[in-house]
Amino acid sequence: MNTSSVVQLNQQTATARRRRFSVAKTIVILFLSLLVVTQVYPLLWLVLYSLKTNEEILSGSFFALPHSFQWSNYSAALEGNYVRYLLNSLFVTSVTMAAVILLSSLCAFAISRFRWKYGQVVMLLFLVGMMIPMQATLLPLMIIFKNIHVLNTHLSLILPYVAFAMPIAVFILSGFMRSIPHEIEESAVMDGANVGRIFWSIILPVSVPPVMTVCILTFINIWNEYILAATFISSEKLKTLPFGVNSFVSQYSVNYGAIGAYLVLGALPVIIIYFLLADKITQGMVAGAVKG
Amino acid sequence: MNVLKVSRLTIAAFVLPCLIIYVGIVFVPIIVSMYSGLLDWNGIGESKFIGLENFRNLFFHDPVFWPSVRRTLMFAVFSMAEIPVALLVAILLKRYVRRPNFLVSSYFLPVILSVVVVGQLWKTIYNPASMGGMLNQVLTTIGLESWTHTWLTEPAVAMYSLYFVALWQYLGYHTLIQYTGILNVPEEIYEAARIDGAEGFTADRYITFPNIIPIFKISIVLAFIGSLQSFDMVMVMTGGGPAHATDVISTHMYNMSFLSMKYGYGSSIAAFLVVLCLAATFLINLIFSKLEKRFS
Amino acid sequence: MAKMSKLLSLVMTGTLALSLTACGGGSKTDEGSTSSNASGTSSNTTETVKEKNVTITFQNIYPDPTDPKNKLMNKLVKQYETDHPNIKIELDSLNTDQQKLKLKTQAASKEVPDITVVNPAAQMQPFVDAKLLAPLNDMLDQNGLKDTFQDGLLDWYSFDGNTYALPDGNNIGVVYYNKELFDKAGVKVPTTFEEMLDVVKTLKSQKIQPMAIGEKDSWTGSFLFMNMLLRTNNGPGFLKDVVDKKKTFDDPAFKEAVDAFENLVQAGAFQDGATSFDYNAGENLFKTGKAAMYYMGTWATGGIETSSVNGKVGVFKFPTINGKGNPDEFMLAPGSAFAISADSKHLDETKAFLNWFMINFPKEAFEAKGAVGIGQKVDGDFKAAGYSDMAMDVLGLFKDVKGGDLAFDNTMNPGTAQVHLTSIQNLFAQKKDATEVAKEHQAAFEANNK
Repeated sequence: MNTSSVVQLNQQTATARRRRFSVAKTIVILFLSLLVVTQVYPLLWLVLYSLKTNEEILSGSFFALPHSFQWSNYSAALEGNYVRYLLNSLFVTSVTMAAVILLSSLCAFAISRFRWKYGQVVMLLFLVGMMIPMQATLLPLMIIFKNIHVLNTHLSLILPYVAFAMPIAVFILSGFMRSIPHEIEESAVMDGANVGRIFWSIILPVSVPPVMTVCILTFINIWNEYILAATFISSEKLKTLPFGVNSFVSQYSVNYGAIGAYLVLGALPVIIIYFLLADKITQGMVAGAVKG
Repeated sequence: MNVLKVSRLTIAAFVLPCLIIYVGIVFVPIIVSMYSGLLDWNGIGESKFIGLENFRNLFFHDPVFWPSVRRTLMFAVFSMAEIPVALLVAILLKRYVRRPNFLVSSYFLPVILSVVVVGQLWKTIYNPASMGGMLNQVLTTIGLESWTHTWLTEPAVAMYSLYFVALWQYLGYHTLIQYTGILNVPEEIYEAARIDGAEGFTADRYITFPNIIPIFKISIVLAFIGSLQSFDMVMVMTGGGPAHATDVISTHMYNMSFLSMKYGYGSSIAAFLVVLCLAATFLINLIFSKLEKRFS
Repeated sequence: MAKMSKLLSLVMTGTLALSLTACGGGSKTDEGSTSSNASGTSSNTTETVKEKNVTITFQNIYPDPTDPKNKLMNKLVKQYETDHPNIKIELDSLNTDQQKLKLKTQAASKEVPDITVVNPAAQMQPFVDAKLLAPLNDMLDQNGLKDTFQDGLLDWYSFDGNTYALPDGNNIGVVYYNKELFDKAGVKVPTTFEEMLDVVKTLKSQKIQPMAIGEKDSWTGSFLFMNMLLRTNNGPGFLKDVVDKKKTFDDPAFKEAVDAFENLVQAGAFQDGATSFDYNAGENLFKTGKAAMYYMGTWATGGIETSSVNGKVGVFKFPTINGKGNPDEFMLAPGSAFAISADSKHLDETKAFLNWFMINFPKEAFEAKGAVGIGQKVDGDFKAAGYSDMAMDVLGLFKDVKGGDLAFDNTMNPGTAQVHLTSIQNLFAQKKDATEVAKEHQAAFEANNK
């Protein structure tokens, strides 16, 4: 039996299987679509919520449409400094992400590719802090920040955001970098490339998939972060988006509709960016995989 | 074996920026917290060194502590148990859907939404039927009235209601991670296997699974971290109530440090949390190094 | 490399900070007392610093731009800035929970903002003990500010003859009821607790939700419970007696109150799932006409007036229990209050501003129809100014006040208070023997008062 007939035979059984599986396929597609409904529903719910009156919201009827669209909720939400908060959030988040990626990939590179004694010790140090919740360090951080005079600046958010994202980033990146074949840098060394060059032109481009993962993780951890932000930032002009949501929760009244509107406005840029980039992210990951 | 031989200065340049920030902002505060655990201190006024007194009370006299540890660990177990499901969804996506990116992104949506949204939504779903709670209304409609509960306020079910919300919210998160993991498995391997007659789930058993063990590990670690840091969701949905029935380690720590104003005691809980994290990290690493050995 | 040495210095200061915390507790006391000395001699220095540019940080709990108090605050601040071009007031508006957390964190590192918000009596005691707050006696005497406050109110904010904070409110606990739902069920306003239980049962049998509560915020149930204790104890002062070791929680009055409270719960007075309703969600059941009664502080008046049940709502005093207690004794709720940091870099300017702010507060609140339950005396005809009938009823109740008790967490230290709050919340989830509840309280009290 020659190879081509094997392939042919396999193709035949594959087609037969495909037909047999079409029922299974329908079920699977149905299941996957149902999942979409359950996962996307909250967003629709939120949009409806943001257009209702307080009474309608609290009467809790789940599927009901608002009697009349309360666009005033949106104007109330925009009154609360939305644009400034958004810009601040974007700034803090992007600086944090850039810093996390750069610093932790440098460190991960050293841990996974350098020949030195203390690589594992450093890794261990990061593992220790990997699971610590930020809230547990609130008070000591306050004291440290007071002494290095960064309270009430964006640095007082960026520093802890970066620091707390590092362990998991180093963990993921070094795990990936370890799997890159050593021949790559061996030949690079022979060509006379220095370490910086190997890192920048060889390792980093190949590491796109884990870097994307780190980006996403970092992002979702800090975009809605409120406790540190509320504690370290006092100036109106420096506040971030979560302040906006919470500003509608006052002592004895809650303006639910406006909160909803604010949450929609807060989630919107993220969702837009995410859906625009989603294709690129997965493509990047696949591309990285082929190179690796 | 790592091959790059470099000077000390180079190592320092690569490692120190990262390490210094990490040590200064994460490590030092943890040490400070652990030290505070030895104090009788309300967080504001004067403090008194009392040795291991806080820990003694914590381990032997605190009726809330051990149950909250148990709930946290259960949280972790449920979160990890979800990962195989996410892997299955990812495999199905890869196999049956031609352009799965939209689906993957949709599944991911709840993760982006803030806990405030998720909490408010699920509170509405869990409400008693008389308050318009969807879950109870559906149960009543299909004749399962005896199954209805006030989901967030009956001590016996409240915690499970919370677990479920977390599972729902993070399904897309793990699916995305697993999915990118699968994409990273080179297509040639599958083709070679197909020629050998391995297809479908057989191929997954022998190709997909061994190849994504590292990704699987990341998911497990993230699930564990997520459950230790489940603070926000519990606070939004039940605040740890009724009567501590849904307290987890982090909410208990918060209550003690800032509401009861026993900062020293709260810090001893933080110290315990650190040790727990360490144990978990080592356990996970141990299990996976064994797994990796077996499959390679 | 320059960057690296900077980072290195960062860690050094970090380590330094660590060593500072270690000894922080004891040594800081001196600093506090020197700055309070400074405040005594402040009047001499006022002249020289007057023209300096000054930024005052004003931490507050009015973040909601749709809340009248937020508008009022913004208006006053803007006006003050216009009148004093060298002064800038930086508002740090946070919701209540977040503000409490932030202040405690700030207090630990002695970084209290120029103006902050504290709660009366036991809740502000730790801040006073740590000498974090500036005494305001001198400032109260300026422009007659002291006399604008209701008699005796400032006592809740005074320790050893010094007043440390100025309250924005003074409220009492009352029962709001929906007249329409009462008529529909054919029930009348109860004058005893036993009648109240009957009203609950009648309402329940007619499928009307008798009472609403937001017990996720566990102080709400505690507030009601304490009013019942105020009755069964035949007058105020039970907790004080416990603190003074004249009574224990095992006292019959306490257990009677627990029993009465459990009767109310068991009669089905509160909505299903009450412990997952936060304050606002609970209150909104009443405000949307879904519940017939609502026990709350009179600060709720404004919110009810702007809701859909406006015009249908009346108020009554919490009735006697087993013939005990005087309905004219109320739960007293002196409000959250503005305090000034003892370490403020601009103590005089801050005092001058807060003085002006508080003097103008009642007038502005009156005009914004928010003067029911503020802590200061108001000149003006409420009726003519267009306040609702319910608001007038509430103001009428204020005139009947013959003393009462403070909330539990304003009387006991935070440790005991947290156990109490949990214990009462637990009564919504399961029935418990009153003796056991008493035991729980007593154990917590003893453990937290060693």
